[in-house]
Amino acid sequence: MNALIKMLIFPGFGFLFIAALAFDWIDRRMIARFHGRVGPPWYQPLADFIKLLAKEDVVAEGTHGLAAAALPIVSLTAVMTASLYIPVGGIVGASFEGDLIVVLFLLALPALAYFLAGWISAGVYSVLGGHRSLLQYFSCEVPFLMAVTCPAILAGSWSINEISNFQAQTAWSALTQPLGFILALIGLIGKLKRDPLDIPKAKSEVVAGPLTDFSGRKLALWHLTMNMQTVLGIFLLVNLFFGGSRFFNRVPALPVFGLKSVAILLMLSTASALYARLRIDQLMDLGWRILAPLALIQILATLWIGG
Amino acid sequence: MTKTVIPIGPQHPLLKEPLAFQIMLEGERVTDSTMRMGYVHRGIERLCQERTFIQNIHLVERVCGICSHVHAMTYCRAVELLLGINVPPRAAYLRALLCELERIHSHLLWLGVLARNVGLDTIFMYAWRDREVALDIMEALSGGRVSHAVNIIGGVRSDVTPEQREEILEQLTTLDRQVNWLLGVVEHERSLQTRTKGVGLLSLQQVRRYCVVGPVARASGLDADMRRDEPRTPYDRLSFNVPMHTAGDVWARTLVRMQETLISVELCRDILKEMPEGPLAVRAPRRVPPGEAISRSEAPRGELFYYVRSDGSDTPARVKIRTPTLPSLLTLPQQLKGVTMADVSVVLSGVDLCIACADR
Repeated sequence: MNALIKMLIFPGFGFLFIAALAFDWIDRRMIARFHGRVGPPWYQPLADFIKLLAKEDVVAEGTHGLAAAALPIVSLTAVMTASLYIPVGGIVGASFEGDLIVVLFLLALPALAYFLAGWISAGVYSVLGGHRSLLQYFSCEVPFLMAVTCPAILAGSWSINEISNFQAQTAWSALTQPLGFILALIGLIGKLKRDPLDIPKAKSEVVAGPLTDFSGRKLALWHLTMNMQTVLGIFLLVNLFFGGSRFFNRVPALPVFGLKSVAILLMLSTASALYARLRIDQLMDLGWRILAPLALIQILATLWIGG
Repeated sequence: MTKTVIPIGPQHPLLKEPLAFQIMLEGERVTDSTMRMGYVHRGIERLCQERTFIQNIHLVERVCGICSHVHAMTYCRAVELLLGINVPPRAAYLRALLCELERIHSHLLWLGVLARNVGLDTIFMYAWRDREVALDIMEALSGGRVSHAVNIIGGVRSDVTPEQREEILEQLTTLDRQVNWLLGVVEHERSLQTRTKGVGLLSLQQVRRYCVVGPVARASGLDADMRRDEPRTPYDRLSFNVPMHTAGDVWARTLVRMQETLISVELCRDILKEMPEGPLAVRAPRRVPPGEAISRSEAPRGELFYYVRSDGSDTPARVKIRTPTLPSLLTLPQQLKGVTMADVSVVLSGVDLCIACADR
């Protein structure tokens, strides 16, 4: 019974759904303030979701219908499964030694599904966006993986919860490995395909990328997947780089965790508002010539400190 | 390498105006492109022959949705040349004031579109917010934000009161500060520069060959500005420089346009301060003596050209409009060759297309 509650309500799917909508709203609101706009009311993400669910679901001619229906469900499932292994404020859904690797794998699945969504579509924008998403995945995933490895090396464990607890006894990884945190943040922006790395879905170039031909329920599921991925990516970074709550012993862990997550979300929103989109070749240059070598340096440094 | 054909337009998030491109891609690189235009051809030149000289003012004002005033003004000037009348100095100053405001409005709008197309939405919002100030001033002056209907043959219809003058000068101070800020962003924002530098190159030879005009030509080093080269009141009494760059890429065009905006704000101030008293218009006869006249002026996008021929009746025998967008359009296949798909949006927004003008 307890396990079921953990899976379905907290810190499982119900909580994740609400957090996804809430984070989406905070993000939109923040960017709106940067733009000098007011931004949407709090229920806007939910209203958008319901509206899309109710809309007519059109499958374009030439698109593989079964795959188009399966892909959003597969990616949503992968993201929801990953959520079970990411502790929220010290509350663990499920945990075992090596769950960090499982989570990273599960969070990589939506990227593959996103590429396939472009591949099975008949539209040229989708195909081009799909190609771009794969290129972007390769350039961003490598520095991201290398950066999130560093806290694991330091803690000597592949369990997210262990890494988080280890920091409670020592110090935040973001303090001991600031470079690693910045790399992970940039990698996360690329993974989530957010501004300024929204290259696969750049509106002025490929309309909406792989999702151009999706509509109705499927699009709603895609959006939900993206929003949940954002939440999980942020939760993962909080656990890996700002884990534990040694400095806030007197306050409960959960609000502190929420504050840390929102702080990272604000960093993402700021980056969205401040920078112009890169070209895909510029991103590859950035990923392979700058971020990956820096991540390597961070790993070596971590091995040196830890060893 | 896979070869793909990407359609851009007539409906695409990149182009708000109807123009169709077929972009031939090899991987991400553009190998060739074809263009189709004419979606908003309204036959305005032919319609001009059906209507009287006076009715035509309102017709040519609708050629363009952004630089409506300069069209009507240039047309009126051509007819005034045929009639052999001179507009009173105050009318010339008021016409120039609206021209400069239109330039500010057009360039800020363009900066917003460019920023939006490279994914810098913040600058889009800021530029369009600041553009509102120029629109507000124009509304106060003429009653219309986009179509002003202030021109009549022989002068203008609406005046500026001393109270309005003070208020506009105050708004111009705000505008000056905000445009300066935007120019600072454009000069210092690295991510914007990486997207615009070296993209959409046009050499001085190409500019000469295609007869490109306006900011695009000035960004490639062609020193041409109708306000200075064919000075009329009040430009012959005002001092201003014409910003020039030689790089010939979208980045240089951005700088040229933003610096021009600043100069236009300054010109608006000078015009308001030095505006002479006097009548707003002189009476013009309805029938125009036979003959032909050309009139040129500097629209926001470059030299605007009107040719009017009269056969002695109250309707023109021919009105020919040459808009500054047309030569820029013709250079697009050249500019697009060899760029990546991501740069297509930068190239297309860099030349500041006005398809409604070009199609007429």
